Amino acid sequence: MKILMICTEKLPIPPVLGGAIQTYIAGILPHISKFHDITVLGISDSSLPEQETINGIHYVRVPGKIFEIYREGVVRYVESNQFDLIHIFNRPRLVMPIRNVAPKAKITLSMHNDMFNPEKIDPEEAKAVLGEVSNIVTVSNYVGNVIRDLYPEASPKIRTIYSGVDTERFLPGNHPKMQKIRNEIRRANGLENKTVILFAGRLSRNKGVDKLIRALPELSKKFKDLALVIVGSKWFSQEAVTDYIAYVRALAKKLPVPVVTTGFVSPDEIQNWFAAADLFVCTSQWQEPLARVHYETMAAGLPIVTTARGGNPEVILINENGLVVENPEDPSCFAEKISQILSDKSLMRRMGEKGRELAVSRYQWDRVASELLEVWEQSKAVEQEKTDEEHVVEAVTVESVTEEGTKEQVLDVSAEMASIRKQLEANFVQNVLVLQAKLEKAEEKEELAKHIAKEKLEKKMKKKLAKLEEKELEGKKKIAELEATLASGEIGQEEYEKEQAAIQTQLVEMRAKIVEEAHEQVDKASKEILEKVTPKRESEHKKQAVEQSNIVYEDNVEQSNVVYEDNEDANVRKKQRDKKKSGTRKQKKQKNANIWVISSKK
Amino acid sequence: MEKIVIEPWIVDELTHEFFVPDYIEQLAEEVLKSYDLSVRSIQVVTTKPDKGGAIWKLETNSGPKSLKLLHRRPTRSLFSLGAQEYLVDVQKARVPPIIKTKDGSNYVEAGGKLWFVAEWIEPLAPVTKDLEGAKQLCYALGEFHRLSKGYIPPEQAEIASRLRKWPKSYEKVITKMDWFRSIAKAYEETAASSHLLNVVDIFEEQAKRSLERINQSSYFELIKQGNAYWGLVHQDYGWSNGQMGENGMWIIDLDGVAFDLPIRDLRKLISGTMADLYRWDVEWVREMIKAYHEANPISASLYEVLMIDLSLPTEFYKNIKEVVYEPELFLNEPTTTQLIQTIVETDQSKWPVLEEIENDWKGVE
Repeated sequence: MKILMICTEKLPIPPVLGGAIQTYIAGILPHISKFHDITVLGISDSSLPEQETINGIHYVRVPGKIFEIYREGVVRYVESNQFDLIHIFNRPRLVMPIRNVAPKAKITLSMHNDMFNPEKIDPEEAKAVLGEVSNIVTVSNYVGNVIRDLYPEASPKIRTIYSGVDTERFLPGNHPKMQKIRNEIRRANGLENKTVILFAGRLSRNKGVDKLIRALPELSKKFKDLALVIVGSKWFSQEAVTDYIAYVRALAKKLPVPVVTTGFVSPDEIQNWFAAADLFVCTSQWQEPLARVHYETMAAGLPIVTTARGGNPEVILINENGLVVENPEDPSCFAEKISQILSDKSLMRRMGEKGRELAVSRYQWDRVASELLEVWEQSKAVEQEKTDEEHVVEAVTVESVTEEGTKEQVLDVSAEMASIRKQLEANFVQNVLVLQAKLEKAEEKEELAKHIAKEKLEKKMKKKLAKLEEKELEGKKKIAELEATLASGEIGQEEYEKEQAAIQTQLVEMRAKIVEEAHEQVDKASKEILEKVTPKRESEHKKQAVEQSNIVYEDNVEQSNVVYEDNEDANVRKKQRDKKKSGTRKQKKQKNANIWVISSKK
Repeated sequence: MEKIVIEPWIVDELTHEFFVPDYIEQLAEEVLKSYDLSVRSIQVVTTKPDKGGAIWKLETNSGPKSLKLLHRRPTRSLFSLGAQEYLVDVQKARVPPIIKTKDGSNYVEAGGKLWFVAEWIEPLAPVTKDLEGAKQLCYALGEFHRLSKGYIPPEQAEIASRLRKWPKSYEKVITKMDWFRSIAKAYEETAASSHLLNVVDIFEEQAKRSLERINQSSYFELIKQGNAYWGLVHQDYGWSNGQMGENGMWIIDLDGVAFDLPIRDLRKLISGTMADLYRWDVEWVREMIKAYHEANPISASLYEVLMIDLSLPTEFYKNIKEVVYEPELFLNEPTTTQLIQTIVETDQSKWPVLEEIENDWKGVE
């Protein structure tokens, strides 16, 4: 396939300036480019040309940094170039503008954080986006589940593909390639004979390194040889000192253990600090998608202490490659888990080894790439199936209307199918009624559910009935042909009977199978819808939304470009709509049930 | 010109008060070429070196003007420029009109930032620092809020809205109380450390209580009305940004405006004024709220939120938060102990006042 991968407006590809998404793309490119014709569209950078082709991968770069400017460049590029599939990274807001200029391409999305949250994308637009994309891959179950909670209809399209790490670059400190580097770093920073605890990440409240710093006085009483290394670029910053950085610095200054702060470390040298360390601590306080440091830590053969936030615990096998802090606001909980590891040297070693083993077996880039390739194939297949099915329906209709000669048989078929149809209808109507009864309680999602219920169930029913009709027709035709051959004397009575029995058995089996499938599908679909509309405990939901929006703000300040006002107004309008509706609901329910029956008789 | 990116600059003993780096001065000259103005003199009047912003006063053939280099992100600046234009053109508010460029634009982009020219309003005089002055300020603020309703930002602008962020900002206050405590503990040898430790629990409790109250208040109902309904807060309103001109009160420096519940400006003005008085005065508070109410009526539920916001220990928070920067200096400064003392005393006079006015709005629609 001819595939376009669209990066975000933040950082360039290759990841000369780092970035999780950029690292991800660079990690999978060598693998996926073997199978497809890949173009990578990203932002321009003074160190990179506007266009180039390296190892068969085309790179196109347009101005970025600000979303609106980037979007314009992206749209202009897509407008004048054709692709079979367009894969967009973490920018659902690019989907509709791209769909406008690429009506035929399949669109898939990679989600790396919470860009589907209502503060980031207007819910109306989000729904349209979810309708347009054929698949969504997420970096953790957590990221996928947040989208599911907001937009249940997206659920079948979502799949987790955990990220990867270059296990040749991130190596344990005792690996022959790393021993020298480890020793040099430790010597240069006064870390010889120390047990080095490493933190690498942004210096922000969300990332929470202050909790680790506050855990150290307690730990240092128990372990005499501790040292802390903080890899974070803003430590020495003069201009961009936030209150938080100032706070952390003030605390670190008073620590009873040596603290090494590295300042900015180039992305291609960061593995050296992992090799120099003995234990990694991830202190994230926010619902984090799943920080890359987990993979890097594992590859570097370090035990990890992380927090029960967001997707982070998804890659931890407790007591095998690390421990999880359940209550990360409390520094003493870090002290407890760290102490658990540090006081058992053999556990510590085993955890490091297990981590390395996991990184090598599960978290390499080729695995990430092959999972993504699967998803792309699936997107292609889904499209194909869809068009095939459309053809089938068309064929049946055409046949039954135009072929005068088979009219009798068609009628015949219809007569035979009447009971099946009735049975299915009953099942359908019952499902719709159950749904509507439940929907009365689920005001918020009523509109959505009704929409899905009607569309989804009807579509499934129709498809199945069409298929059934088609198969019945096929069978009848075969029998007619068989009769003709009997009449012409080509075959004898015995053979005819045998053949006819076979065809009928086949038909019966086929019919049973289709009917069963239809029941299953309709039941399943209505169950899914029911699950989606079952009202959430609202306060909890609200609280979660608030929590998430907090995180969002600190982490992605630059992106808060969304029109809040629209959301709010939309909510108000919706509430008003809902109020009006409840009065006429009963009447509508009746109507709805009728609509299908009538249309199915056509 | 395109390649230059304006950045914050360092000021020290060697730089004079209104120092602006040469390349920015040159950009300013470039920017002025976009205007149909003949500039007789140009003079720096304010700088924000840590952010990279500045204001110049221009004497031109068509009177005095101001030239502003906005330090915020261009998309954010578009929001405030749009607001200023809306207030002047649509609502005829007394805020300085923006001068258009030769191409009819509101602003010029240079050095990765937005610049604009506006009328320099003269003469302007601060209102008196007494209750009368405070009431004038409050009335003008209410008027400003009322007129800012209905503002729809330009399409390219990012939406600056604090409307939904109240609980989050309360939480931030609580978080930082914990920081203050940790720092005071880590720097226990300093003079003010024990004083800070003695009171931080009280203020933390107050903040927690405010958060609980806001979470149970009509706040969530109120914000459903949306940004345009509530209009804009100034965010930096007080005796210098609200001044008396020839035909009434003018409001200047609109660069920080954002959508919010309007009473946030009023709360800041009240608690700041009480801090200046060193005590809470029930008459002042009542009169200030009343003056505001006359220009922009406060509903009972909005009043409830105002009461909650007044209960937040903002003065303590505001004055102590710099402790994280240089704890040793701050906590050893002799004035710090005094400062804490004053804040605590002023705070003690706050609660009877809040209690007394708690039910003032009972029955108000």
